[in-house]
Formats: sequence, C-alpha cells, structure tokens
Amino acid sequence: MLKRIKGELRRLINDPVLLVTIILISALLFVFIVFPLFKVLQQSLYSHGEFSPKYFKQFFQKIYLIRPFYNSLTVGALVALIGTTIGFIFAYAITRTDIPFKGLFRVMAIFPIVSPPFLLALAAMLLLGNHGLITEFFNLDWDIYGLPGLVLTETIAYFPIAFMTLEGVLRGIDPAMEEAALDLGASKLRTFLTVTLPLATPGIACALLLVFIRSLEDFGNPIVLQGNYPVLTVQAYLAVTGMYNLPLGATLSIFLLIPCLIAFILQRFWAGRRSYVTVTGRPTGAGLRSTELHIKYPLLGVLILLTSIILLFYGTVLYGSFTKLWGVDNSFTWENYRYVLSTGWDYLKDTLFIASIATPVGGILAMIIAYLVAKKRFIGKGVMDFVSMLNFAVPGTVVGIGYILAFNTPPLQLTGTALIIILVFIFRRMPVGIRDGIAMLQQIDPAIEEASTNLGGGMFRTFGRVVLPLISPAFLSGLVYLFVRCMTAISAVVFVISAGWQLLTVALLYEVDQANLAEAAAYGCVIIAIVLLALGVMELLVNRLLKGRKVGAV
Amino acid sequence: MNKIRFLITLILVVALGAVVGLTASPAKQVLHLYTALDVDQAKVYIEAFEATHPEIDVEWVRLSSGEVLARIRAEAANPQASIWIGGPSTSHIAAAEDGLLEPYCESLAWQYISDEFKDPDCLWIGIYTGFIGFVSNTEFLEGQNVQAPASWQDLLKPEFKGEISMAYPYTSGTAYTVLATIVFLYGGDEDEAFDYAKKLDEQMHHYTKSGTACITEAGLGEVAVGIAFSHDIVKKGIAAGYPVAMTFPEEGTGYEIGGMSLIKDGPKLELARVFYDWMASAEAQTLYKEFYRVPLNPEAELGEGVVSAADVNLIAGFDPVWAGGNKDRLTERWREVTGK
Repeated sequence: MLKRIKGELRRLINDPVLLVTIILISALLFVFIVFPLFKVLQQSLYSHGEFSPKYFKQFFQKIYLIRPFYNSLTVGALVALIGTTIGFIFAYAITRTDIPFKGLFRVMAIFPIVSPPFLLALAAMLLLGNHGLITEFFNLDWDIYGLPGLVLTETIAYFPIAFMTLEGVLRGIDPAMEEAALDLGASKLRTFLTVTLPLATPGIACALLLVFIRSLEDFGNPIVLQGNYPVLTVQAYLAVTGMYNLPLGATLSIFLLIPCLIAFILQRFWAGRRSYVTVTGRPTGAGLRSTELHIKYPLLGVLILLTSIILLFYGTVLYGSFTKLWGVDNSFTWENYRYVLSTGWDYLKDTLFIASIATPVGGILAMIIAYLVAKKRFIGKGVMDFVSMLNFAVPGTVVGIGYILAFNTPPLQLTGTALIIILVFIFRRMPVGIRDGIAMLQQIDPAIEEASTNLGGGMFRTFGRVVLPLISPAFLSGLVYLFVRCMTAISAVVFVISAGWQLLTVALLYEVDQANLAEAAAYGCVIIAIVLLALGVMELLVNRLLKGRKVGAV
Repeated sequence: MNKIRFLITLILVVALGAVVGLTASPAKQVLHLYTALDVDQAKVYIEAFEATHPEIDVEWVRLSSGEVLARIRAEAANPQASIWIGGPSTSHIAAAEDGLLEPYCESLAWQYISDEFKDPDCLWIGIYTGFIGFVSNTEFLEGQNVQAPASWQDLLKPEFKGEISMAYPYTSGTAYTVLATIVFLYGGDEDEAFDYAKKLDEQMHHYTKSGTACITEAGLGEVAVGIAFSHDIVKKGIAAGYPVAMTFPEEGTGYEIGGMSLIKDGPKLELARVFYDWMASAEAQTLYKEFYRVPLNPEAELGEGVVSAADVNLIAGFDPVWAGGNKDRLTERWREVTGK
C-alpha cells in the first residue's frame, strides 16, 4: 500500500504539468464547493454557537418533515424511469433508424431544456387544472395537483437530459459492432438486447442518475403544482426563505443529498464493472442499414405523440404570452412583451453578460476535470470526482446560502459582484459537462492518447488536440447546458443576485410568485428566444471550428 | 488543429475582458435597497424618488420578505444594502430582535405616523396597511348557487370543501396574518383557535408560497375561494378583470402594517435616510392610489375603491406586534396540527 502511494507520488513529480493542474483544480473545488457546504453544515448543527442537531432528531419524528422525503423519492424514481425511457427512445430512433424529420424531433427533444421549468407547470395548470382547457372540454374530473402533475411536468422537463446523454453515447458506439452481430445472424432484437443495450449501459446509468437528481432538486414545477404532495426541495426552500430557518433548511437538504449520493455510488459501481471501449481510432464500417417498417413506424408514432405533447405545452405558453388576462380575457395584446422589455431590460443585459463568461470558462473546466478523472491516475482522484459532482446533488437554495455565508467576508469577499453569480453557475452546473465528458472518455481507447504521448505531445497538447476534439459532443453539450442554465436557473442564484447584478429568471420567478401568468409567459418566451438564438450561433461556431476532424465513429 | 487553441485563447480573452469590465465603477451616489413590494410598484416609487433626487441612483433587489430577512442575516458582517421597504412589520420586528436594524428617531416621519404603526425604539416604521379578506370566483358561486363566504364560519361550509387556497403561514406574511387573526378571533384561546385552523385545513385544496397567488387561482377557477389582503384582491383580482368578488368576515378581520427600516452598518446610510423620509411623505404615499394600498400618512390621497379601516370590521385587540413576536411558536404549532 505504502509502496503504491510512493510510486504514484514519484509519477506525479515526474509530470509537473499534471501535478500543478491537479493542485489548482483541487484548490478551486475546495474553495467553491466544499467550503460553502461546510458553512451550511455548520449552520445545520450549531445554533447560537452551540452544538445542537435538533432538526436531525426532529426529522424522523415529524410527519411534515419525513413525508416530503418519501414524496421526493417517489417522484424522482418515476421521473427517472419514464424520462430515461423516453430519452432512450428518442436517442435510439435518431441515431439508429432512418425515420424522417430527425432534425425536427431532435430539436423538440432538446427544447424543454431551454425552458424555465415554471412554464411547463403553468401550461399544465392552464390545460389540465381544475378549470383548465382540456379538463373543461372533456368535462373531466381529475386533480393534477400533486404526484400526477409533478411526474408529467418533470418528465417533460428532464427527459432531454437523458436524451442528450444517450444520444452522445449511442453515437459513440461503433455501428460496426451491431453490423457484426447482424451479419452473424442475430435478429434485430437480439442485437439490440445483447450488443447495443449493454454498450449503452454506462450512458443509461448516467441518464437515470442525472434525471433522478434533477427531479429531486426541482423547485419550479412543485412550487406551482405540488398541491398537497409536498416535496423536499420546496420544504427546504420554504424553510430558508419563508421561515428564515437556515438550520432546518440545511438539515432538510442533507436528507435530499443522501439519496443523490446513493444513486451516485450505485451508478459508479454499475458503470465501472466493464470496459466499453468502442472508439478505437481504426476506420469504421458503413452507415446504418435501413430499418424494417415494423420497428420504424411504432417508433415514429411514439415520437410524434411525445413531440405533440411538448408542442402543445409550449404552444399554450406562447399563446398565453399574447393574452390580456390569461384564462379569462384571451384577447390579443403586445402589452406583456412591452412590459417585459421595459421592466426587464437591465435584467437582460446582466444575464447575457454573466452567461457569456460562465459558459466558456465552466465548459473548459468541466472537460479538464472529466479528463483528469477518466484518464489520469493520481492520489485523491476519487475525491476530486466526488467533490466536482457534489454541487449537482445539493439543492440550489443551499448552494446559494452557502455562498453568501462563505463569501461575505474577507479574504474572499464576493457578495454584490457579478463574479459570485458567475462562480455559482460554473461550479453548480459543471457536473453535467463532467458526467458527459467522462461517459464519452470511457469509450475512447487509451491507445489514442498513448500514441500522442509517445510522439512527444505533453498533457495539454494531448488534451487540446486529441481528447477535446474526440469528446467535442460532450464539450458542446456541456457548453449548451451551462449557457441554458445561466438563462434559466433560479434556486441558487436568487441568493447571490444583488442590487447591481440581476437576472432574468429572478424577474420570471417574481411574476410566477405573484401568479401574473401572462407576464410570466412573456418572460419565459423572451428567455427561450434568447437561448435558441444563442444556441444556433454557438452550434454554428463550434461546428465550423471543429469541422473536418472527425475520428472513427465519433 | 490550431483552431482549438484559437477557440480557447478567444474564450480566455473574452473572460479577461469581462473581468476588467467588472471593475469599472459608477460615478453617481448609489443607494442600495431591498424591497418586498411588487416589482411594478417598487419601480413606480423608486423612479419617482430618483426624479425628485437626481443626485441619487437607487439600485434595488425585489425579494419576498423572508428572503430579505435571510439575506440581511447572512450579510450581517458586511451588509450589502442600507434600506428595506415593504413586507409586513412582523418581518421587520424579527430583524430588529436580531439587532440587524439601525434606529432613525430624527426622521420627519416620526411625528405624523401614529404610535400603533411604528416601533417605540424607531427601528421600523409603517408605510401602509391592509386587511384580510376573502376572494371568491363568481362563476363558481353562480354555478353552485351559493353565497360568497361572509364569515370565518362560512369557510367551513361543505360547499367549499377542497375549494379554498391560501399561502403557507410560515412562508407568507399574508397567511401568517390569517393565522394570527384566527388566534385573536378566539380571544387568544389558542386551543380553540387551532381547533378551527385544523377544520379550515380540511377545507383547503392546497397551499402556496406567496400570499397573493390564491387571488389568481380563484380568478381562474382553480379554487373557489382565496384568503388574502384586500389591496391585493382589488389590484390582482377585481381591477385585473377576473370574475371575482371580495367579502370580509363579519366576526372581524386582521390587518398588516407594511414596514420600512434602515439596515445596521449598511453602505451610505445617509442616502437611505433621504429615501426613508421621502417614502413616509404624503407625496410618496399618494402614489399608492394606483395600487389600492392604504397609506399611513394622513395627508396622502386615497385611491378610488380603496378599502379603509372604516369599511371593515377589525378584530378587537388585534396586535400585529404581538403576532410578530409569536410567529415561530404559532407557525410551528400550525404545522404540528395540520402536518403541512
């Protein structure tokens, strides 16, 4: 054991670039992830300077504290299962069949991710609520408040995460493998079950984990639709913002953290058991075979159905943004947009500025961490992996409170600046990029990097010229995700915004809070428009920069 | 291959430029303000203030009163704002008890705001008031052929079962005022009061975070009845055009005092004092007209349709200050009783 550590140390000293990178990244992770959480934990355990974990004891005794815990788990598990299934269907249909309108389906499958989640809940209320359009039209007697509404809206909101992960993974699987199975006489089903599915297992595990956690930490949908089915995030949020009870909020969030950590560890165990190398750098075979109709048409049918539901929900929001008084007086007006552009102008400028910094910096940092974790061996690697993931599992409210507790005093006094908002975005939203990066890197044969190293390429050279282009889909999706979250995140940043630096989502939260539905819809549509515009530009830019350098099946 | 390096360099240059841009500072005198008022309202008051005091630039954040309090507490070592306007006096009292507020006894406002609307130690002052009322969907009332609730007992009628919404008393100043009102309704006999609260809970469809959300919900017909402040019901329900009616409980109702306070050790407190004096003036409080708020400055003009203290039956002995001091205990008991 000691000998092994010694050997590792010697290896690190022989590679000073790697050593410095590791130290630098570790320091950043410690200061901006561990330290704020430590401050929150301290808050949860100490009251008036004395050690008193009273809320931990209360948690199991009070029905109103334990019930949201079970509710959150139920919603999270259902959303993860349904969302990942839908994500897989979309990803499979798009990467493995020759259905028409792929571009359209792809856009629709990513669309919910560009949306602030409140909008889905508002649309659900207007369509399916007690007095909703569909409810009235079919004269239905149901109540979507609670579990059904939460599962519905969160599935639509978070299946794109599963789709994006699985699309990258399925594209990364060399079709030659499937071709080989088919050539050897296996049926399509058998090929799918014994080749495609096992190869996609790490991706599916990742997708399940990501959707589960996003559902657990979701705040926007439950705050509108939870009804009498309270979930943990809302309770923690209410404890902090409504009851001014930081220790209780911190305690609740620790119970939110536990299932997330278990999911994380399970996923590691599951995905880590086998090697899934399929990107070998060797030339790959022909493209896809045409798909049999009895596979294609059911898939197409499912895709059309799901896409229609998404369109219906967002169409409702778009329509609502042009109404005088949504739900009562539906006559056409531009007034809501005039209101958004006058009240929200400063918010818009600040948001764009912050997003334009946080996105590239966070995206590159995420890929560097993914690379270190997936491809390098060093002491404390597991800790780095764990810590970089941590903020994804902690509810935003706690991250936000942690940041103001940690960075309100010298030497790192950041409250009131744009920098603190940028840091929250970077360190909170990096994990998706890291997860995707690792998932892709696990499929890349180490021989490719070894070749670069053997030819004299240093770590940065190998990273920039070989690894980054290979994982560019993950890099791009990391960038996209970061930018989109900058435009749509709310729960953490609401605490670190200041009089000088504002965000559009805060304006939206306020409108939702006050139930100003048409104004909220207009804010939402403006945010979506900006995100779509930026995504188009970003995709164009990155595609141009990376053009013509495709290796193998990537 | 160089394109990747180019991309990374480009990104780093943009990031560096941005950081340099951040350090540029404005020239005007800047007042940092937190408000729990609605954005559209706060904007009107702040722009009017800036018009009368062009030398001062107000930078402000709108948060719920709970969030303001949580932030002031977290920022106590290094306050980021120097004045807090809006939000129920109960939140301001909670801040005062934690020693987070700066007294201002010299304010001109002190002489014309009556005693029940200000803190004896000058830590906070009232700037408006409002009364708890019921908002009912008129289509529901006609469809079911029932009368709008006219008393607290009416809310317990079977026709309203599962048809009422309000905010959580522990997140919303409005809903906590409702809970405090119920306690005073039973003359301070808390056992009886919580007996009623439990029955009322069984009538609820759901609870919301914000005190005013139930008005829109009643307007849309998602629920039949909401419980909220009168000025919000007029503004967000009746004046907005929703098919709703407002009624007040005949047994008597409770009220809030909207507060204003200075934050201890806040930046540029001298500017905050200028705003404080202005906000308490008749000129500022006449601006309430548009939002149907009840001003506390006796010189201010009343808006049309504003419900004033003369129009409703206030509960005898209702004491918002006592309510503020007992908030944690009463909301905790409410949670025990309802399990929510």
